[in-house]
Amino acid sequence: MAKLSRDVLHVDPRAEADRISAFIREQVTRNYHRKGVVVGMSGGLDSAVVACLCVRALGPEAVLGLILPERESNPVSERFAWAQIEKLGIAGERIDLTPILEVLGTYREKDEVISRLCPSFDPARDTTKVKLPGDLLNRDSFNVFSLVVTKPDGAVSTHRLRASDFQALEAAQNMKTRSRMMQLYHRAEKMHRVVAGTTNRTELDEGFFVKYGDGGVDMEPLAHLYKTQVFQLGRHIGVTEEILNRMPSPDTWSGQVGDEEFYYRLPIETLDILLYAWNNGVPDEDVGAALGLSLEQIRRAYRDIDSKKRSTWHLRCVPPSILA
Amino acid sequence: MRELLRRFILDAAAVGKPPEGFDDDTSFLDSGLLDSTGIMELVGHLEDQFGVEVEDQELVPENLDSINRLCAYLGRKGVAEA
Repeated sequence: MAKLSRDVLHVDPRAEADRISAFIREQVTRNYHRKGVVVGMSGGLDSAVVACLCVRALGPEAVLGLILPERESNPVSERFAWAQIEKLGIAGERIDLTPILEVLGTYREKDEVISRLCPSFDPARDTTKVKLPGDLLNRDSFNVFSLVVTKPDGAVSTHRLRASDFQALEAAQNMKTRSRMMQLYHRAEKMHRVVAGTTNRTELDEGFFVKYGDGGVDMEPLAHLYKTQVFQLGRHIGVTEEILNRMPSPDTWSGQVGDEEFYYRLPIETLDILLYAWNNGVPDEDVGAALGLSLEQIRRAYRDIDSKKRSTWHLRCVPPSILA
Repeated sequence: MRELLRRFILDAAAVGKPPEGFDDDTSFLDSGLLDSTGIMELVGHLEDQFGVEVEDQELVPENLDSINRLCAYLGRKGVAEA
């Protein structure tokens, strides 16, 4: 095996775009026998790349971009999504999920947990987010989530989460993603179209998606590409500069939190190469040489990857059953 | 204390069956016995069952990553091993 280098994830964007476009065409027309696709446009990189590839595969008239904000979404996300839709010349539609989520009790459930942990919490004014500890490579640590509440004057309080509190917050937050899935399928069925997924390989490997949320789709055109490869593709196929320059974020909390702080605990460039090395059995010494990491740092990163892979196995499987 | 911890780890917090050869020195992290939810449950259990306050800077493997380390940590926090 050739020595590992930082270039290992370099892709030929033109060839990759052709390959994925052919896959999308095949899936929509020959496998599903449908008339087009629906893409949930988050204002982030992955959905923009998928929309571009769908246009390349099927033409703009066969692609609908759905923008599905709720009251805690970053307003910038919607602006970026509309700009991408306009650039591609596809139809766009906006559905505000806030009333649906209010009926479902999403905000109430979440605010109850937060208020218990932070009695001064004001849902109308404060912003919130959850995060994992940083510095994964340099110290042994556990994946214990913390809630961060930021007051309008910038005062920040951090509250370590108990398992039951984290689970309650996660269950409430995941209703947002699952409500999006419902809207996407409603439009897709009505228009006899396919729901195009936007999950990339980094998210797939680490279990960074919601079961029957953003994981509830008809096809996954990016599931073989690590995030840094999606970025290379985006540069080539017409993703707007503002989306290319944006920090990747789940955008489900009112406080701004990037994917690294929220879940990955590593810069995406480093994580992707470590995932590649893990998946391909690259010797640790080669990984260390390519990334400038010690064996101890690699051991910490692999332990985290292993832990996330094992705890999210069910996201990547058909539900177990007795049926063989 | 030791038996209470062992029972909690194996009955309540563990992911799946304990690894072969599990003993009081087995690392929860390296063996994959506890995932992130299990660790959060463990910390809550230490606070509720033994009345200690686990500080953020104490959330390190040296304190929490095996039955023996947990016993030693609780000892340092003033909990007597009955």
